Amino acid sequence: MPHQCTDCGRQFDDGSKEMLSGCPECGGNKFQFLPASQSADTPPEPPGEGVAGDSDTDRSVARTVGNAATAVKDFVGGSSEPTRERPESAAPGSSTADETSPSSSTREGPSTASSTASTDREIGSGQQSSRQPGQSPTESEPAAATMADTEDEAQASARSEVISPDELPSSTETEPRWPGEKPAAADAGETDDTAESERPDLSELRAELNQQFESIKVLEPGQYELNLMELFDREEYIVALQEDGKYTVQVPEDWKE
Amino acid sequence: MGLLTNLRSSISRAVSSLFSEEEPKRIGIYGPPNAGKTTLANRIARDWTEHGDAVGPESHVPHETRRARRKENVEIERDGKTVTIDVVDTPGVTTKVDYTEFLEHDLEKEDAVRRSREATEGVAEAMHWLREDVDGVVYVLDSTSDPFTQVNTMLIGIIESQDLPVLILANKIDLEDSSVQRIQNAFPQHETIPLSALEGDNMDEVYDKIAEYFG
Repeated sequence: MPHQCTDCGRQFDDGSKEMLSGCPECGGNKFQFLPASQSADTPPEPPGEGVAGDSDTDRSVARTVGNAATAVKDFVGGSSEPTRERPESAAPGSSTADETSPSSSTREGPSTASSTASTDREIGSGQQSSRQPGQSPTESEPAAATMADTEDEAQASARSEVISPDELPSSTETEPRWPGEKPAAADAGETDDTAESERPDLSELRAELNQQFESIKVLEPGQYELNLMELFDREEYIVALQEDGKYTVQVPEDWKE
Repeated sequence: MGLLTNLRSSISRAVSSLFSEEEPKRIGIYGPPNAGKTTLANRIARDWTEHGDAVGPESHVPHETRRARRKENVEIERDGKTVTIDVVDTPGVTTKVDYTEFLEHDLEKEDAVRRSREATEGVAEAMHWLREDVDGVVYVLDSTSDPFTQVNTMLIGIIESQDLPVLILANKIDLEDSSVQRIQNAFPQHETIPLSALEGDNMDEVYDKIAEYFG
């Protein structure tokens, strides 16, 4: 029983249409997906948790980073991911994609970025020149993928006719825990392995994030988008934003260029 | 590089905790806006500090807390033992701050824009603290709202990657549409403690767990 209502715990068969209009028990509209191999004997758990008791901490870190990584990828690639079951979180993701898709397609270097500087300033653009334009795997995804949350095989094949399978990041990078990201592969056990082996490491994640936007994006005074991963990763941090888009940073004493 | 830095900081954290057993642990109260972080911080301060001074003002308007605030040397007594912690109340973490949201709370545009800017700085500061300055995290969630958000997943992921002990609190259980189960389902790898920081419900268990996790 791969789908489970997160409110009342009722379970549904893979591909069940019962849940399309909400849980018949409690009306909840959030479901989590349990791969067939897990649902029989283990509680639902994200991949990062499987090694909770494991002494191999490196592996644990890698997996939890992968966990965060997937979340971040969902966020920055919001338009390509199923949004129906996570409306709150999908909202910023979608608009982020709206912002980044046009700009990243023209972002050949700092000079083009500055052309939109009046409304689209980026803070901490020091790494901008190292970006590889046009590599984001998510920006070309059509919004049609948003209905994939309850896909069965027929729906999956319909979707893969629109996009070639190797363009579907969700088939290799997602966690089975999220209901909307059930990969097209029929074998759920195999899916789990694939997701684990191909989860991006931190440097890939960072590279992808850098293609999107830096720490804080000023849409206009009073409207900001924040890249939490980048804010977390930076040694220096922003201490004061000013109305004209300038900012002050504090850097560590041993900070080097 | 980032991984190395993380590794280095977690090693230095481990080393420093080995050699400074007496130092109070610095516990960051994290979570999305309006989860009740400041209400909890104030509750802890009232219950366990001499003067019971509030850590900060509480408000229904999101992003009331825009700078991290610290309450030092909070001594929590459990089973005859005393656990000393520094409580850091942080601004609500979010990926998007929009001043128009504050206009609905009867703020003038100028104030709303300033609040928005300060809130953004506050999130940056909170993320920075998470990287270097906290020894453990109390993650507060509003149990009446959906925990399956990118911010929650990402922050918990970061906290896990730092190997920080984390206690998840399902706040606002005094409200009718509260669902603790939903939070347990969202983060089954962690223990979830229900409470109402406002009403003081189940605070004994919260303090037990704080002592157990961070003592």
